[in-house]
Amino acid sequence: MVRRILGLTTGRIAVAILTVIALLAVLGPLFAPQDPLATSDHPLAGTSGSHWLGTDYLGRDVLSRLLDGSRVSVLGSLEVAVTALVVGAVPGILSVYLGRAFEWVTLRLVDTLVALPFLLFAVAVIALLGNGLTQAMLVTGVLVSPLFYRVSRAATLSVARSQYVEAAIISGASIGWIVRRHVWAKVLPPIAVAFAQTVGVGFVIVSSLTFLGIGVQPPEPTWGGLLASDLGYLGQKPWAPVAPALLIMATVWAGNLLADAIRDVSGEAGRALIDARRARPDRLDKTDPAPAGGTR
Amino acid sequence: MTRPSADLLPGRTAPAGPSASASPVLSVRDVRITDRASGREIVHGVSFDLPPGRTVGIVGESGSGKTLTCRATLGILPPHFEVSDGTIEIDGTDISTLTPARWTELRGATISAVFQDPASYLNPSVRVGAQIAEVLRVKRGLKRREARERAVELLRAVHLRDPELVYAQYTYELSGGMLQRVLIAAAIAAGPRILIADEATTALDVTVQAEILDLLADLRERTGLALVVVSHDLAVVAQLCDEVLVMRGGEVLEQGPTRTVLGAPRHDYTKLLIAEHEQYGLEKFLDLKETP
Amino acid sequence: MTTTEAQVPPAHRRGVAAARARHTVLRVLATLARSAAIFVPVFLVATFVTFALRALSGLSPARIQLGEQATPEAIARVEAQWGLDRPFLVQYWDWFTDVLHGELGTSWTNGADISTLIATGLGVSLSVAVFALVIGVTAGFVLGTLAALRRTTWIDRAVTGFVTVISVMPAFVVGIVLVTVFAVGLGLFPSGGYVPAAQGVGPWLAHITLPALALSLDVVADVARQLRTSLIAAHRENYVTGAVVRGLGPRRIFFGHVLRNGLGPTLATLGLKFPALVGASVVTEWIFGLQGFGRFANDSAQTGDVPAVQGVLVVSIALVVSFNLIVNLVLARVTPAAQRGV
Repeated sequence: MVRRILGLTTGRIAVAILTVIALLAVLGPLFAPQDPLATSDHPLAGTSGSHWLGTDYLGRDVLSRLLDGSRVSVLGSLEVAVTALVVGAVPGILSVYLGRAFEWVTLRLVDTLVALPFLLFAVAVIALLGNGLTQAMLVTGVLVSPLFYRVSRAATLSVARSQYVEAAIISGASIGWIVRRHVWAKVLPPIAVAFAQTVGVGFVIVSSLTFLGIGVQPPEPTWGGLLASDLGYLGQKPWAPVAPALLIMATVWAGNLLADAIRDVSGEAGRALIDARRARPDRLDKTDPAPAGGTR
Repeated sequence: MTRPSADLLPGRTAPAGPSASASPVLSVRDVRITDRASGREIVHGVSFDLPPGRTVGIVGESGSGKTLTCRATLGILPPHFEVSDGTIEIDGTDISTLTPARWTELRGATISAVFQDPASYLNPSVRVGAQIAEVLRVKRGLKRREARERAVELLRAVHLRDPELVYAQYTYELSGGMLQRVLIAAAIAAGPRILIADEATTALDVTVQAEILDLLADLRERTGLALVVVSHDLAVVAQLCDEVLVMRGGEVLEQGPTRTVLGAPRHDYTKLLIAEHEQYGLEKFLDLKETP
Repeated sequence: MTTTEAQVPPAHRRGVAAARARHTVLRVLATLARSAAIFVPVFLVATFVTFALRALSGLSPARIQLGEQATPEAIARVEAQWGLDRPFLVQYWDWFTDVLHGELGTSWTNGADISTLIATGLGVSLSVAVFALVIGVTAGFVLGTLAALRRTTWIDRAVTGFVTVISVMPAFVVGIVLVTVFAVGLGLFPSGGYVPAAQGVGPWLAHITLPALALSLDVVADVARQLRTSLIAAHRENYVTGAVVRGLGPRRIFFGHVLRNGLGPTLATLGLKFPALVGASVVTEWIFGLQGFGRFANDSAQTGDVPAVQGVLVVSIALVVSFNLIVNLVLARVTPAAQRGV
């Protein structure tokens, strides 16, 4: 699976970007050229030898703050994704097996979670329940969990009602073997897709929350927080938001790209899809007549 | 069920009797169809003439090229497929000279078609009657109100009980047999001279299948419609057709008047098809044709 | 219903018209009932969770009014005034019935009526959200249709690329970019604040354009992507072949048949998107200095004003539920088959 994802150009780009971001999160604070909290006498300075990305309104080194803040953002989005995975996928799979009452209750809960404007809700819940990023991310994880619930439920349903599983049971295969051989193969890819997507979504949420100053204490740097402080000084330093904004966008994009790559290589159509992609360029020159006579 | 008078039906008044000497409305000459993507020729030369009020049958297993031949005459070949050789003339017009606009003009008004799985050939989001009325408004320039009334008449003409109700229903509210009748009504709405029925009765119950075949024969007799009936089922062809083509692997194995082909098959494949059908009472149809 | 009276056209037609009208009413009622079966539980659960927030947060009006040094007796007295000493379910029921009557209670911090406070902010937020929806649907529709009609050409690839870029831009990043370029840089729009439409449509539009644009990009991306996919899928359907064979022109087929069926999934996406749109207002209102209800929620949450937060959440849930109800009704009209799960 991993090898096949890396076989796609998009997959390689996604994995490369995510790896860089992950390394930043782990090693970034070590590389930070200066103390991200240390102020200096040169507020809002431009790019220079000592401050590659300039300084902020208190004269703190932007590059250092960016590197140091990566940890919060990456850990936060992972936390969102893992919480959503556990809270969503487990009931999603069980809803197929645990009877109608459980199914009905979980479905209604999922409907409800989907209907909640989650950024608003996250802001409210976090502000009321305590100002900590961990709680913030747990709550957000629960709020985005319906995606996992639906995806894993749909996949499980399709397996549970499929004839090849029935055939395997009839031919005397053990349950464990069936789960390993058939169920995981069907259920894991969609969950992986959802996970990659959620990492992207989680990133936006973490950034949005830290942008609003929720979930972190002020001096601590975060990407969203950097953007928020830049907002006040756009007149003096209009290009300041570029670096953190680009980082956030690249990460979200990589998450989406990875999700697409997994979707492309998984399932029965996986291999065929790659082949079709390779075959596509030499077909493009031939106009693709609208299947039914031409709507051109 | 009221049997409508012939003047309710679109098209020309029925000719006194179909005569083989009338000039053909559809003329297919040595048509070859090629898949451009792979460069392979899929259909290797099909020819037939279809005069008004007559019926040509094409029999063969799936993949024999019969559907591709039909689609070629309708100008709706799938992407990458093209008529690489031979000519098709609809009412005297060579289709290779047709512009897209002329094609649009011709379809529905001169040549039309019905298919297997009628539900999928009707828009699921639009009331079925409105889809027939749409054809009438576009192709015959009827006003909204007239088109509506005419569509109901057409639904009655294809022997649907309670056409007013059917008019206002959606595809998912109708059965397969009813949908095939609706599809036929939509296909003949603009009074075409040729109707292609591509496996039109395949997915239906045997009794419903017989009713639809009767309806097609009825339309042919009353309006002089020329039919191309495509089926893998020899019984369907035997019941309806004057001439039959037996196809396999893109090749026409045998071709001739239905009675000759079915009565004295020369090709082994045709014999095989007939042998398979012996138990379904194919002989009965042959007897009927011999004693008019 | 029978056709025995088929020979008496006027009477018959009236009978049929009545039957058809009844048919339509029944369809609408069935859709409403199905939607209610989904949305009533949603509303109940959501309001319950919302109300439970206070108990979970452990916050109390006494702390806000009396400060940290208050005696337990004083706290108990204040809490009794607010009715917080009663059983939880009783409190919930009282609050819920008040909510149904439009009473959202009074603020812990300044005793103001929350319904009034939210109503003032709602005008701002709804102006922005509706304008964002209009922009998003229009632009998304044009882009998605264009890409579908010119699929596999450079136009398609350009649209897809553009959509990918805007879909990864969080609303607050877009907001900052817009402020930098159009307000600070070019000075075309005010960088923040709000003017009610009553004081002139021009200034009103000028003030809500940038925030609406910031909110809309996500909608543009979703609508364009979904519309492109479903239009291409619809174009491969047999009913398109059917319409071609019946001799309908390409334009009629596209607008009458392909678009109609392609719209269904797009509308459904819009329904799912709406909560995110309402939620993102928190961020855009912060950037553009709008006193909308998102800002109000944020401020109230930061000061621990629980009834105010609950009020905003209830209003937002009501907005989402009503929007989805409308979407469902429109969907039932546009693609009746899909409503039956066919």
